Amino acid sequence: MDEKEFEQKLVDKIQADNLSPKPRWHFLLKNYVIWVAGLLALLTGALAVSVIIYLLRYNGWEMQEGTHKSLIEFFLLTLPYFWIVFSGIFIFILYYNLKHTKKGYRYPAYLIVLVVILASIILGGAFYSLGIGQKIDNILGERAPFYGQVFNRQITFWFNPDEGRLVGIISSEVEADNFDLVDPSGNVWKILGRRDELNHLPPDFLRLGEPVNIIGSVVAESQFKADVIRLLVPGRGFFSRPNIRERHEKCLRSNCQLLLPPPPPAMMIIK
Amino acid sequence: MIDIADNQNLSDGELVSLSLENQHNFLYLVNRYRFKLLSYIKRLTNVSDDDAEDILQEVFIKVYLNLNDFNSDLKFSSWIYRITHNQVISSHRKLKARPEGHAIDIEDKSALNLAADIDIVAGTDLNILKQKIIKVLDGLERKYRDILILRFLEEKNYQEISDIIRKPQGTVASTINKAKQEFKKEFETQKIIL
Repeated sequence: MDEKEFEQKLVDKIQADNLSPKPRWHFLLKNYVIWVAGLLALLTGALAVSVIIYLLRYNGWEMQEGTHKSLIEFFLLTLPYFWIVFSGIFIFILYYNLKHTKKGYRYPAYLIVLVVILASIILGGAFYSLGIGQKIDNILGERAPFYGQVFNRQITFWFNPDEGRLVGIISSEVEADNFDLVDPSGNVWKILGRRDELNHLPPDFLRLGEPVNIIGSVVAESQFKADVIRLLVPGRGFFSRPNIRERHEKCLRSNCQLLLPPPPPAMMIIK
Repeated sequence: MIDIADNQNLSDGELVSLSLENQHNFLYLVNRYRFKLLSYIKRLTNVSDDDAEDILQEVFIKVYLNLNDFNSDLKFSSWIYRITHNQVISSHRKLKARPEGHAIDIEDKSALNLAADIDIVAGTDLNILKQKIIKVLDGLERKYRDILILRFLEEKNYQEISDIIRKPQGTVASTINKAKQEFKKEFETQKIIL
């Protein structure tokens, strides 16, 4: 095909199909979409990182010895897997978007991955210091279904009385050696233990309405002997749920008398 | 339409702007790149001449449609080579490849440069060397063949290759090194056969 023939064929094709250059805004829009989607992915990933920092910061490390033989076992059991996967997805979306910007291909993958992870951690750290991680956990705690199984596994982890772990909200004035506690299922427990003998107990913080987690053992029906008590930090929103809050208030009104089971027959005084 | 004599002094970028103003100016860009790209297409793939012309036409139509996407951060030649490279890959899947080797044409200078760079014994007969190069290139994995074609036959630098195949320069450098090793190995094994 000679030069003129090729040119003519090309011109004919352009005219027959009525082709014209795509407008500039089309490409600008495509470019903006990639950047905006990347920015949204960065923000979402960073929000997830702020929750991870919050959950890990108050993971109950100081109670590890009472619950697990090794720190690694404790660490693996209490890692916030959902948030790690969630942030991983958005970090990948950010990486993908950066790689598909006009000049993204010029940078090696490891460098983009490094920048993306660092940016997510730094921004996530900033969100955490602004209290956003805590806010997200509280909102989810109050409303999200499967909160204890998915978003904050510490609730499920700590709610296992037979294994010596109990979590709940203090539902009576704290006496010298006992107080009442409403657990996530709404059951009421009598918690036994002398305040001055408990480890990790900041006395001023142990008060009515505070969610706590406890290491100890079941000594009788609905009675739990506490060895260590710690204020619950992530998951506080969970104890504001109406069902738990109602049970807690009912317990308060009746001094928990109506809600606690009667003492076992052997302990009853027979006149 | 601009005057024919003027277009020789105009840069590619200026011709792009003029093409956006008047469709007919696009033909100057077509003529500037037509033979280079046709040769590149034939080096990359083993389609017939007619199929190569069809691919080239598709390339120019894509270039025309996407003229507003070109920006001066990139060399126009890298941009048009990138479009050609991608078009060859997508067209090649649809077209039936000829069973025999590639229709690669190699200039004497390119053959000697390749031989010197890869440190192979060129021998005295340049035609035999060129035949061997074609045969060896033909036997290489696609990614190695493509990158050696860009580096030695199209004489593109690392930055240009990076822009054409959309890979970082470091990756381009390491792929070229690996491709040269593969080429040398293949060249050595084919020594006796030819």
